[in-house]
Amino acid sequence: MSNPDTSDLSRRRLLQGTALGVAAVPAAGFLAACATSGGDADSEDVTNSGDAENPFGVDPAAPLDVVIFDGGFGDKYATEGHQVMYNEKFPDAEIIHATEEDIAATQQPRFADGDPPDVLDDSGAGKIAIDALVNDGLLAELTPLLEAPSIDDPNLTVQETLVDGVLKPGIYNGKVYALNYAMGGWAIWYDGKLFEDQGWTAPTTWDEMMALCAEIKKAGIAPWTYAGQHPYYLWDSLYTLAARHGGRDVSVAIDNLEPKAWEHESVKLAAEALYSLQDKGYVLKGTPGINHIDSQTKFNNREAAFLPCGSWLANEQIDVAPDDFVYSAIGIPPLEGSVQPELVWSSGEEPFVVPEHAKNKPGAYEYLRIMLSKEGSKIFAEKAQSPTILKDQEITNPPAAALASLVTTAENAYRPQLADWYIDFKEQAEPALAELMAGKITPDEFIGVAQKAADSVAKSDVEKFTQEY
Amino acid sequence: MFVASFLVLPVGLYLWLVIMPFIQAFQISLTDWSGYTTGFNYIGFDNFINMWDDPKQWVIPGFTHTGIILLVLPVIVIAMALFFAFMLNVGGRSQGGVSGVRGAGFYKIVYFFPQVLATAIIAIVWAQIYKPPTTGGLLASALEAVGLPYPENGFMGSTSLVLPGIIAVMVWSSVGFYLVYFSSAMAAIPQDIYEAARIDGASRTKTFFQITLPLLWESVQTAWIYLGIIALDGFVLVFMMTPSQGGPNHSSEVIGGAIYKFAFGSGNDAGMASAIGVVLFLAVLILTVVSLRVTRRERIEF
Repeated sequence: MSNPDTSDLSRRRLLQGTALGVAAVPAAGFLAACATSGGDADSEDVTNSGDAENPFGVDPAAPLDVVIFDGGFGDKYATEGHQVMYNEKFPDAEIIHATEEDIAATQQPRFADGDPPDVLDDSGAGKIAIDALVNDGLLAELTPLLEAPSIDDPNLTVQETLVDGVLKPGIYNGKVYALNYAMGGWAIWYDGKLFEDQGWTAPTTWDEMMALCAEIKKAGIAPWTYAGQHPYYLWDSLYTLAARHGGRDVSVAIDNLEPKAWEHESVKLAAEALYSLQDKGYVLKGTPGINHIDSQTKFNNREAAFLPCGSWLANEQIDVAPDDFVYSAIGIPPLEGSVQPELVWSSGEEPFVVPEHAKNKPGAYEYLRIMLSKEGSKIFAEKAQSPTILKDQEITNPPAAALASLVTTAENAYRPQLADWYIDFKEQAEPALAELMAGKITPDEFIGVAQKAADSVAKSDVEKFTQEY
Repeated sequence: MFVASFLVLPVGLYLWLVIMPFIQAFQISLTDWSGYTTGFNYIGFDNFINMWDDPKQWVIPGFTHTGIILLVLPVIVIAMALFFAFMLNVGGRSQGGVSGVRGAGFYKIVYFFPQVLATAIIAIVWAQIYKPPTTGGLLASALEAVGLPYPENGFMGSTSLVLPGIIAVMVWSSVGFYLVYFSSAMAAIPQDIYEAARIDGASRTKTFFQITLPLLWESVQTAWIYLGIIALDGFVLVFMMTPSQGGPNHSSEVIGGAIYKFAFGSGNDAGMASAIGVVLFLAVLILTVVSLRVTRRERIEF
């Protein structure tokens, strides 16, 4: 199986290309003929020798197969940056590069063939769920990389050069499987120019938010809008209101599927606060039925004052927003009595993984180590206009800097995981979140649905993950 | 023997490319294959049992909505197509020769228009039409303008209107084809039968039910089967038009979408996808046999 002859391979490819729909599933399963469970390709374990130059023992002539997601960050940072750096170090290595928009559709057959790429940027709407890959034993652990000496300072390990806590979203049961490379998070955006013209100041508490919303509404502008068709844009508002009020433990309990975690007082207050936005008429009409592009357009047109969205927003809108638009971010204003009012949902995003059966694993680790050098990080900031998870970088991009400034200390950064970990939870609770925001169900009903969904995941035989801080 | 040897290649290809994948769907439905590993374990009929727990709420809503479309779509499309075809071919003025209403040729072309559009384009156009008034949705804005009740969040944002909305688009895009199909079948009915009926003083309605429909029965039966196949699909429209590709709140999930989500989407369970495919296959098989039996009529020669 480790070396399928070419005719076998092309036959398989032919099958996969021809048989569509349901038929495609069995087609890829043709491998059953040549592989049984556990009979996977040989995979060498990569170890870190501690050598600062070539800690993983990369074969300088081995080709490196890189797949980059074609999204907001583009692929220039890889093709004109990291890959050039890799080739400078190993001039004989051929780099096989692909830029893909739909990662799952293009990479699934490669995984099923036992021929995955060496480095995979598993991102976007068509990303492959990392937990599923971890469950199937298809991803390599990144510990050797994190323990290897950093390129810039051999006295430090790679992990020591990263911002504290940023690896969290890539950790599955205590081990890092995904390197979430770009620094990102969620915030409530507003237009600094509009606020200045109108004499409004960004609210610092939820009560101020409500008072300001009344004022904004009087001025003929809708206070809030959001991507109603994509309810996952709303998780940050709910989680952060709750976790700011009751402390990070509220979110940890939820992620760990503890009984009655959703029925916590802070979650109730958070759900009630979000519900009141629609209830008081503070949400732009029709918002529950619009998508992210519509909501962003309304926001750019200054038809709505606040928009909850991720850190990528400002960059994405540079060419679209009016020239005098001042993209400004706040964390969702905390409820009265909040114990951790500065908590911000922030962590690494854009997961890079190394498949367990990659042909050039040492090269893949080295590629990631190059990405995590100062030079590699600088190139990413220039080409993709986003900070990386590397410590002490100079952030020149204003919105990114604004977001970075929201996180004051490592204790104030957190990253809820529940909806990412358990698709069963997401499919049940996310529609309920949308209905809560649309005013179709009450906060109590929402909490009921979320608790029931969490309980059913806890009871099911799905592999469980734990959140640790 | 020599002649039969020519068949080896096409039959072999057919077996390899068509029959094998079908058989493999059955095989994979008995495994826990995620779709990513090179191997898998056999788990018996677990997928067929676990399917109905449906924690992701794809399967049961999917079967329900596909069932609704399967019942509603062929009836509406065939009724409308027959009515229009009758009017365009036979329903003209009641004196003189048998002909359609005035401008029949023009109407035929107009009705056929949607058929030449790719489904993806139809989905994009209708998604715009169905949007909330805030973002310029044509239909809701029009209803608002004339003071009728309208969905504030658009048709695709409403749990009760999303499925009827999808069905309406399916009807809109298929009526034209069946109109033309029935028209040509009607053209094959001898004129003198109609003339005789007219001399006897039969009304339009009576002519339709006593003459046109019985003589078209075989065409209707064929249309029914084709429309059943279209109804089982619905997947492209749902994926392109509805929020969360089956939402809001799973109120437009279709079975094709559920299979896709398990096989290639966030479900990561090719075994389950195949199991649903097998259930669907059996359901379609039974439905086809039953409907062919039920609609069987004596053939009328003319």
